[in-house]
Amino acid sequence: MEWECCWAFQEIAPEGCPYIAEGEEELYTAHKRRVVEKCLECPRFRNDLLKFRELGYPLATIIPFIVEEFIDQKTRLQSMGSFLNSKTREIRFLHELNVVLQTSLDLDEILSVAMTAITAGKGFGMNRAFLLMADKERQFLKGYLGVGPRNYEEAWQIWSDIGQNDLTLREMARNFQKTKLASEKVKFQDILDQLSIPLANHKHIFNRTLRDKKPVLIKDAFTNQDIDPHLSELLGVDSFLIMPLISRNRRVGLIIADNCITHKPITTHDMQLMETFTFPVAFALERASLYERLQEEVGKLTVANEKLKEQQELIVKMEKMALVGRITSSIAHSIRNPLMIIGGFARSLLKTASESDRNRKYLESIVREAKQLEDVLEEVLGYADSLYPAMDTWDINQLVTSAFDKIKERLEQKGISWRFDAAAGLPMAFIDYKQITFCIKTIFNAVMETPGISLVSLVTRLEGDDIVVEILDNGLAPPWNADEAGLPDSAFEELGRNLGLPLCKAILEKYGKPLLIEKRPEGGTKYTITLPIRKEGE
Amino acid sequence: MAKILVVDDEDSIRLLYAEELADDGHEVVTAASAIEATEKLARNTFDLVVLDIKLKNESGLDLLQKIVKERHEMPVILCTAFSCYKDDFSAWLADGYVVKSSDMTELKDEIKRILAKKAR
Repeated sequence: MEWECCWAFQEIAPEGCPYIAEGEEELYTAHKRRVVEKCLECPRFRNDLLKFRELGYPLATIIPFIVEEFIDQKTRLQSMGSFLNSKTREIRFLHELNVVLQTSLDLDEILSVAMTAITAGKGFGMNRAFLLMADKERQFLKGYLGVGPRNYEEAWQIWSDIGQNDLTLREMARNFQKTKLASEKVKFQDILDQLSIPLANHKHIFNRTLRDKKPVLIKDAFTNQDIDPHLSELLGVDSFLIMPLISRNRRVGLIIADNCITHKPITTHDMQLMETFTFPVAFALERASLYERLQEEVGKLTVANEKLKEQQELIVKMEKMALVGRITSSIAHSIRNPLMIIGGFARSLLKTASESDRNRKYLESIVREAKQLEDVLEEVLGYADSLYPAMDTWDINQLVTSAFDKIKERLEQKGISWRFDAAAGLPMAFIDYKQITFCIKTIFNAVMETPGISLVSLVTRLEGDDIVVEILDNGLAPPWNADEAGLPDSAFEELGRNLGLPLCKAILEKYGKPLLIEKRPEGGTKYTITLPIRKEGE
Repeated sequence: MAKILVVDDEDSIRLLYAEELADDGHEVVTAASAIEATEKLARNTFDLVVLDIKLKNESGLDLLQKIVKERHEMPVILCTAFSCYKDDFSAWLADGYVVKSSDMTELKDEIKRILAKKAR
C-alpha cells in the first residue's frame, strides 16, 4: 500500500515530510516522536486514515476519535502551559516588586518602583499613572506624581528607548529615579494640581473609592453620572482605573491609571492584578513616610542634644566665669584699696602743701602714678569682665547712648563739643553688651587724652550686613594708621600708658572686624568699630 | 552740711573718708563692721551712709537691705572696689554706686547730688 504520510517509516529522508521545520531534524529518525508531534495533525495522515476505512479495516472508524481527542487534550495542555507561564511571569514580577517595596525606606525609590511597575510593559503595561497622597494633616488628597507620556511622540520615544534596553523592573525603576523622577513631577504638575481634593468631600469618586477600599474601573467616563465631568476632561480618557492605597485602615492615597495613548481597554483582570499590588505599595509608602518623619524627629533630637551640649559647655564656661570673677574681685580688693589709700592721702597732703614745699613734686608724682595704676586696673578688670561674652541682640544706638552718657559730662567739663548722628532704623546687633560698652568707653578715654581736641563726633550707620560705629575727633592725629592688619606694635607705645586700645583690638578681632584707627585728611583721628547684625536663622 | 556714717573695714580708708568729707564740712562718723554700723544707726540720726560692700566676714549688701527696710528714707551710697556689683540686683537698692578711687571727686559729687535730692 502506498501511504501519503510518513508514519509507516522508521526513518525518513529530509524531503520525506514537509512539516518538519528547521531545528526539528531529530524527527527524521525519531519515529515515535514524529508520529505524535507531526503525523497525527498532518492532512496526509488524515488521507491515509480514509484509505484505511475504504479498505475496511475495523479500527479505521475509531482511530479518528482517538486522534481527535488526543489533539484536543494536547491543545488544552498547551493552553494551560501558556497560562501557567503567564502566571509564573506575573508571580515573578510581583515578587520582584514586593522585595523592593518591603526593603526600601526611601519614599522616592518606592514611588519610582510603584509607578514604573504600573507603566512598564514588563509590569502592568498601563500608559499613564497618577499618584495622589493624603497630606500630613490628613486634610487633602494631593496630586503627588504623574508618570507616562503626554503625547504620541513622547510615547514613541519612551517605548523605543525601553525596547533597546532589556532591563529588570528594579533597574528601570532605578533609572527612572535617577533621571526622570524630578522632571516627571514637574511635567504633570498642571494636572496634579487639579486632581487635588479635600478628604472631607465625601461625594467625590476618589473619597468614595478610599472609603470602599476597593479599586474601581471607570468606563464611559464622559457620560458616567458618577464622575465629575471636569475629572474626565482633565484626564482626557473614557476609561481609567482608580486604586485606593490603604494601609492599616489609614488612607495613604490612591493611584489613577489609564491607557491615554493606546486606548487599549482596561479589563477586570487588569484591575484584579493591580489590586494585589496596591496593598504592598500603600504599606511601603506609609512606612517610608513614617521613616521620613522618624528621621525628622531624630534630626530634631540631634539638634536638641547639640543644644544640651552647648548648655553644658555654657555651664562649664559660667563656672569658669565665676572663677574669673572671684579672681578679679580678689585682685580688685587687694589692689584698689591700697591704691586708694596711697593716692588719697597723697592728694590730702597735696592740698595742704604750699607751692614752695619741696615734697610737693613727690606728692604730685604719687597722685599721678596712683591714678594711672587705678586706670590700668579698671581697664584690666573691665576686660576680664568681658572675657566670657553673653551674645545677644542689642540696639546699638541705645548702647552707645548709654555708654556716652557719662562721657558727655567729662567732655563738657573739658570744654569739648560733641555731636551724635545716630542712624534711624538700625537692625539689632549680635554682640556682648559689656564688651562693646567697654570698647566705646575705652576709645573715648583715648580720645580725651589726645591733645588739641575741640569736637568729638559719634556716628552710627548700616553698612552691608554690619553696623558701623565711628568716633571722630579733630585733635592731634597719631603718626600711624591702623588698617585691617590691626594696630602696629608701635601704636601701643604711642597711645601712651593705657592698655585699653589693645584690649579693644583683641575684643573686636573676635567679631571678625578689627578696630580701625585712621588719620583724618582734615585733621584728627577716626576710630571705626564694625559689628555684626543678627541674621535670619541665626 | 550733713552727718554721714562711713562703713568700711579698712582703718586707713575710714580715716581718708573722714578727713576728706570733713574738709567739705560734713560731720563724719565711722564704723568698721556691720554690727558697729547697726549700733550707731540705732543711736544716731544720719543724713547719709557711705557703705563698702566687702566687709570682714560680712556683706555690705545685707546691711544695705536692713537699712532700706528699717530706714527707707536714709540714702545709702555704695563705695566699693568692685565695679561688677553694679549689675547685682541687691546693689540697685542703693541711691548711688561709686567705685573706690584715690580721686574722691566722684564720691563727693554723688554725696552732693543725693543730699540735694533729699533736700527737695
